Amino acid sequence: MAEVQKDAPIKSVQVEALVVMKIVKHCSTSFPTVATGSIVGMDNNGAIEVTNSFQFPSVDVSSSDSHSDASSLAAAAPRAKANIVYQNEMIRHLKEVNVDANNVGWYTSATMGNFINMSFIENQYHYQKENEKTVALVHDVSRSSQGALSLRAFKLSPEFMTAYKEAKFTTESLRNSKLTYKDIFVELPVNVHNSHLLTSFLHQIPAPPKSAEIPMPASLDDIRRDPVQIPAHPGFESLDLSIDPFLEKTCDLLLDSIESHYTDLNNHQYYQRQLTREQFKITQWQAKRKAENAARLAAKQSPLPEDEWQRLFKLPQEPSRLEGMLNARQVDQYARQVDAFTANITAKMFAVRGNLLPE
Amino acid sequence: MSRFFRGGDDSSTDSSSEEEEVYTSEEEEEKVQAEDESSSEEESDEEESDEESSSDEEEGTKKKGASRFLQSDDESEEEEEEQSDDEATTKVKSAKDKRFDELESTISQIQNGQKINDWSLIANEFDKLNRQVVKLQDGSKAPKSYIKAIADLEDFMNETLAKQKVTPKKMNATNARGLNAVKQRIRKNNKEYQTQIDAYRKDADAFMESDDEVAAPKVVSKVRFEAPVVSAEQQEEDDKGFSTVDSRGKVVQYTPESILKHLRAIIESRGKKNTDRLEQIKVMETLNKVVPITPYQKIRVLQTLISARFDLGAGGAAQMPLDQWKAAERDLASLLEILEKEKDHVVVEGAEEWDDDDKLPTIPEGEKYLKVPGSVVSLIERLDDELTRSLQAIDPHTSEYIDRLTDEGSLYNTIFRGLLYYEHLRKDASLEVPQESLNRIIQRRLDHVYYKPAQVVKILEENAWKQVSAEADSEITPRSQSGDAGKLINILSNYLFENSEGIIRARAMLCQIYFLALHDEYYKSRDLMLTSHLQETIANFDIATQILYNRTLVQVGLCAFRKGLVYDAQNTLQEICGSGRQKELLAQGVMIQRYSQVTPEQERLEKQRQLPFHMHINLELLECVYLTCSMLLEIPLLAQTGSSPDVKKRIISKTYRRMLEYHERQIFTGPPENTRDHVMQASKALAAGEWKKATDFIHSIKIWDLMPNTEGIKTMLAKQIQEEGLRTYLFTYAPFYDTLAIATLSSMFELDSRKVSAVVSKMISHEELAAALDQVTETVIFRKGVELSRLQSLALTLSDKASSLIETNERTLEQKTQGSANAFSRKDNRGGGQRGGGQRGGRGGARTGGNPQRQAGGTQFTGGALGNAVRG
Repeated sequence: MAEVQKDAPIKSVQVEALVVMKIVKHCSTSFPTVATGSIVGMDNNGAIEVTNSFQFPSVDVSSSDSHSDASSLAAAAPRAKANIVYQNEMIRHLKEVNVDANNVGWYTSATMGNFINMSFIENQYHYQKENEKTVALVHDVSRSSQGALSLRAFKLSPEFMTAYKEAKFTTESLRNSKLTYKDIFVELPVNVHNSHLLTSFLHQIPAPPKSAEIPMPASLDDIRRDPVQIPAHPGFESLDLSIDPFLEKTCDLLLDSIESHYTDLNNHQYYQRQLTREQFKITQWQAKRKAENAARLAAKQSPLPEDEWQRLFKLPQEPSRLEGMLNARQVDQYARQVDAFTANITAKMFAVRGNLLPE
Repeated sequence: MSRFFRGGDDSSTDSSSEEEEVYTSEEEEEKVQAEDESSSEEESDEEESDEESSSDEEEGTKKKGASRFLQSDDESEEEEEEQSDDEATTKVKSAKDKRFDELESTISQIQNGQKINDWSLIANEFDKLNRQVVKLQDGSKAPKSYIKAIADLEDFMNETLAKQKVTPKKMNATNARGLNAVKQRIRKNNKEYQTQIDAYRKDADAFMESDDEVAAPKVVSKVRFEAPVVSAEQQEEDDKGFSTVDSRGKVVQYTPESILKHLRAIIESRGKKNTDRLEQIKVMETLNKVVPITPYQKIRVLQTLISARFDLGAGGAAQMPLDQWKAAERDLASLLEILEKEKDHVVVEGAEEWDDDDKLPTIPEGEKYLKVPGSVVSLIERLDDELTRSLQAIDPHTSEYIDRLTDEGSLYNTIFRGLLYYEHLRKDASLEVPQESLNRIIQRRLDHVYYKPAQVVKILEENAWKQVSAEADSEITPRSQSGDAGKLINILSNYLFENSEGIIRARAMLCQIYFLALHDEYYKSRDLMLTSHLQETIANFDIATQILYNRTLVQVGLCAFRKGLVYDAQNTLQEICGSGRQKELLAQGVMIQRYSQVTPEQERLEKQRQLPFHMHINLELLECVYLTCSMLLEIPLLAQTGSSPDVKKRIISKTYRRMLEYHERQIFTGPPENTRDHVMQASKALAAGEWKKATDFIHSIKIWDLMPNTEGIKTMLAKQIQEEGLRTYLFTYAPFYDTLAIATLSSMFELDSRKVSAVVSKMISHEELAAALDQVTETVIFRKGVELSRLQSLALTLSDKASSLIETNERTLEQKTQGSANAFSRKDNRGGGQRGGGQRGGRGGARTGGNPQRQAGGTQFTGGALGNAVRG
């Protein structure tokens, strides 16, 4: 039974409410710097139960260092040597107090879904190569601040893992493995789990009265006619239609992505030009060598080797396509995000219109 | 007159050893005179000599300086020696006698040296001799024994040199050095005593015996105290006592019979090394004066003479000497005169050479003309070029430049007469004068008038007509038409346009446009410019024409500005002024190129291309006009785009923007000093709505005075500033108003209320201003919320980027599939959403062979589904 469980792939992630709170707290305090931490828990029949988390120690960045350095340092924290030691120490201590002491991955903060980059891939690869059953939790601070909590779990797809292991992202290898930007990550559903005790406590939290003092009813009729107003929950905020800031931000990010895509494109074009030039040279050389050999043959001399070009010419290294793939994935991510968000807004709009339409 | 060349010649003879032999004593004698003249005239003629020395480039002046130092050195040495001599004297002997003895002993030493061929000894002794003789000289007269010694020495030296040439055996080093030293010193030295040496050479014994030492030096002293200006006649007078002698001392007689032989000899030696051009010119001048009987001879002599004069200026970058130019101009005029008089002699290109050594050529039977080979138009062109070259070299801020410029009038006359002559030739079809010659001469004439104001052209024309005989008339430019400069230009350029092609045609057009623009005919010149279609082909023309094109463009721009057409002016000037290389583009100065290496050759060419100063277009005025126009256009534009930062920024003039930014970065701005400051501060004031201040700034620019009708320009500018100020104000403050009364605006900008409503209406109709005009209440009512939000502008940018991405992808696909557009059948795929990354994995899609009909499919592509969405 246990054997079977071990081999079952991860299907979902279950996060304790406490962990969620801790992650949200950590991420929002360190915003806009990226925050990272480790999560512990256990694998329960294909579902990872995350029961605790701790943050990686923030490195004190000296004042001379710029802000971006702090961000990149934090982003690179999970695979930093010092932090691995710290994490192992921490897990040992946790074991001593009888908490689940299995590392099941790490978490990071993000802004508007801009988490897909090399650093993220490296971190996740670092965990996943050791233990197949690890996930990356991404908490999007900006989106959470809009109302709904945004917590997502990702892991790298097995195909990508093999490709990354070989570090081969040439056009040819990509074509053979049929790896596209869609196949980089596998997203897992996230459930937030509360303990029964907590659930019952939540149910018992009394709703606060609307005003501090409720006027005493003068008579029984009064109570019947005008019952005590219980405040509407969760308020009108959910009807907020302010879509512009979100879209603006996304637009900006999209433009950035397009920029980087162009950079990538230019690199690749440069490579291609270089390649054709080299190839032209090689064919020239070969033709020359062939003519030479023909001449030597006529003069009854032994022909010169014709495969020397491999030694003489060096084809330029094809730039890795990984960046481009990640970029595409990122754009995809943005697009989905906008899609999801506008779907929500559109629904609200329709609701409003339906109300306004004359019957 | 030849003294200045002497300087140059001197240097050349000093440095080259072979030239020694070709020196004629006759010429050297003249040199003595010349030198003396120059020394006496030096002060009075300082200006002239300055000019000449500058023409000889530095070489001449350096030489001069060096020799000056040498002289003073000699003097000091001599003094020293005198002192030491005095101390050493023990014998009772008159000082003079003693020195004579010394001299004699030195001479005998030299003679000894000659015997054993010891040149180093001779060199030393010769130096000594020279020092001694200075002390012995009474007046300018040197002792006879000395003269004898140096004359003998020179002969001996020449002999040795000649011998050395034939014998292969080399001298040893010290000897050779000594020989060289003596050679150089002798040449310098002997010039001083040339007359005496000549006398000695003529009759050695008589010279040595003769007691009276007056005759010979007399000439020298006479010249020495001559009036500063020695004309040719005086020179002749001086020459009277002597007969002309050739290099071997033979007397040369110029007779009408031998004239052509001489000429031939000269022509043959032309271009060879070691020929003294000056001497040849002199010979020819004599020839010209003495003899010519037949017009043929005259023509030949003049032709050769003129070309010889031009040869003088041919070497290197130095331009032709002034007097030679003038002489050439005179000769050319007389040549034309002869040709006009002697109608049966014609100078045509490609005529056969006459064998004229023995007998004079005569008019062949059955033909009307005696054809002389040559080209008048080439001579005229050369004369013109030489004038330009000398004008390039002269500092334009001196009176000398103006003096030189007056020569242009006579040049113009020559050109004009040349034109008449060619017209005359053209009349006779049998001569087959090529059209091209006529075109060239007309082009020259046009080049001389197109940049001048009408009045100046008129004066030029009048002078030119005065020169020719009363009955002469030009077919192309009739006398009756010449009074009107505009008509003249029109006729000339039309003639060229009809009768030529290529560059001359283009140049003719440009000249006409230039002239029209100069005379405020903006629309005419603009239309001509546009119909010429030169802007498309100008890059294929030669650089001189490109420069002319640039000049014309600038002139048209300035004309538009004078007309008050700010937009047109800015547009026209943009190309030239926006580049920041006005100087180079207009050939009015060489840019210092910091980062690129320019070869001396290029630099020389560049320098040659420069226009003489009087043709310049004032660059400061140009900049001022350009900046002012830019200000009037840019400031409202800045105000307009200022409110919406993400809209793609239109920039009219980058140069202006840069200056404005620079000006704004300054923390403290002092009162404006130059034109640029004025315009920048005016811009600032205008942007702030203070149009009055802006007007003040603009009006206080001094360079406007250079424009004709300064007041008119200023009022025009004031009006423009008012209007642009109003526009700027509306752009800047529209968001803060709901309504705005026209009366308020009109009082604010002191504009007519009709004008205000006209400006506002224009802005509304161009959708620059979201407003409406209420004519009843006379107010402008602004609409709100019509400008793009940030999100909208971002979305627009995004869609732009996305569509360009799609295009890139399409192109890549096209490349990969090699034009077989079927591999990517759009019709079926339309709904499928072909995202950019979709094809990343592979080439995808079935390739069903190339369909030739759809080969050009790529051009019809509309962007697929996403593209449609973006575009829609």
